[in-house]
Amino acid sequence: MLGFGGEREAVSKVGLSAADLAAARLREPAAVTRIYTAYAPALFRFFMASVGDRHLAEDLTGNTFVSAIEGLPRFRGPVEALGGWLFQIARHDLYDHRRKQSRTRIEPLDENLAEATRSDATVDPEELAIDRLEGSRVLGAMRELSPDQREVLLLRMAGGMTAPEVASVLGKTTGAVKALQHRGLASLARVLGLRSPDETPQRPYPSTDPDRLTSQEDEEG
Amino acid sequence: MQRPRPNRLHDELDALLDGRPVELTDELAPLAEAADSLRAELATYQLAPGVADRHMERVLEGSGRVVQLPVRRPAGGWEVRRRVVAVALAAALVLAPATIASAAALPGQAMYPFKLAIEQLRIASVQWSSTREAGERTRVADARLSELKRLVDLQMFNQIGPAVTALADAYRAAKDAVDDAKQDGAAGAEVAELNGKLASVQNQAIRTVVMVSSSIQAAKLPSGSTRNAIEAAVQDAQTVLPPPAPPADATPTPTTANSPATSPPTDPSTSPTNTAPAPPPSTAPPPTSAPTTEPPTTAPTTTAPPPTSEPTTPGSAGQVGDSGGLAGADERTPAEAKDVPPTTSPPAP
Repeated sequence: MLGFGGEREAVSKVGLSAADLAAARLREPAAVTRIYTAYAPALFRFFMASVGDRHLAEDLTGNTFVSAIEGLPRFRGPVEALGGWLFQIARHDLYDHRRKQSRTRIEPLDENLAEATRSDATVDPEELAIDRLEGSRVLGAMRELSPDQREVLLLRMAGGMTAPEVASVLGKTTGAVKALQHRGLASLARVLGLRSPDETPQRPYPSTDPDRLTSQEDEEG
Repeated sequence: MQRPRPNRLHDELDALLDGRPVELTDELAPLAEAADSLRAELATYQLAPGVADRHMERVLEGSGRVVQLPVRRPAGGWEVRRRVVAVALAAALVLAPATIASAAALPGQAMYPFKLAIEQLRIASVQWSSTREAGERTRVADARLSELKRLVDLQMFNQIGPAVTALADAYRAAKDAVDDAKQDGAAGAEVAELNGKLASVQNQAIRTVVMVSSSIQAAKLPSGSTRNAIEAAVQDAQTVLPPPAPPADATPTPTTANSPATSPPTDPSTSPTNTAPAPPPSTAPPPTSAPTTEPPTTAPTTTAPPPTSEPTTPGSAGQVGDSGGLAGADERTPAEAKDVPPTTSPPAP
């Protein structure tokens, strides 16, 4: 997603240049604003689809961006790799949020709530987030996907990243990412009632009806 | 129909998601439709403008903690000292043997240019302080004086003329440097010390130049370019280092071939070894602002002690050679020489 090789100055797919990156390291407002404008919407979509809560997604987006700008002097990659680096921070923040959420749910506040707490603790926070998106049929269907498939599809669709970039963020091979996105979309299509190529066309059982058999043989012949 | 291999299908789906042109087969169509549905759903999530402003505020002004760039710190402290020591040590290893070897070099010798170069380096290294520069230039003038004395002793006639000129130049530079140090507000003790050293150099230089001037009159030097060069150099030098005024009752008398020169004035405080400091400049230095070779008609001032105070022992007159002059010049007592004007005495008949 993020760039084109060439002899000219490297400009990322979202329109950022190396000069923007250097200026953002110095906290120049114009450069920071350009980076925010380029990536904040994608980060918000990623968080929104992951946690299902607008306010929480906004806070996570803001925290990720603040962490990224603060850590930008330590970023050594080219401007084309900035998107992947930002989503690595986003994933880290998301996992951190889920760990805190799980820990908070485990701590009992009252003996009377112990049972309820235990029952809540068994619920995956990620699934809880999807439950919040009851109004979204598509995101509801995402619940049927494995965590790896969901993550790949969200980075691919929400983050606008290519398969190699997603592979870099997740530490997987590009082939594995392509396979995950294929299986994830196939499952999503199936849940959404779309015909999936993974659904092998069911041949009708051989009929005991001689006419049917004859007709089938005729058709095959 | 043969179904595409999974890897090929993965690649085609990936290309489709990237927006590259791909033939939309029956296998890809539902996947593309699912992807479009997901994209459309995600596109409905938009950041509110107020939220974006709040985030930017956090980054630029608010809770965003300012992180300093990991710039390389300029070398300082021990790093600078370590480098300075290394350079100084390397320079010392290279220069020290040559410095020692060239210390006694005289004009015309192979190491003499190196000696002059080291002097220039020393002067350049102390130019940050006018006081130190004055001290160094005074030391250089003293070196020129010593060289001239050695040349006279060794009868290196062809080098005496340039040496006299060099002495006059070095003295002029030292005097200017001392004046600069005074103007720069050097401490009183430092100025007094500088004046003392400069006066010592000046007195000895005057005596030496006068001695050279007188000696060449009686020396067995062929009247050639060497002799002319010495005479010209002496004449020029005496504009900077004027000869002392004779006593008021002194009457110029013709000299003989055996009384070659006037004994130069002697600073009473100057020891024969040239190590004792001269008296303060208010009394010690003879006048230098009268560049003339004409004998003064007035009585000598207190700045020029009478020649009668000159030691009578040979070789004590400013260490200008134990022989007291150039080859062929007889030794004279100060009493014999005191009435002879330094440079206006006619040659012996």
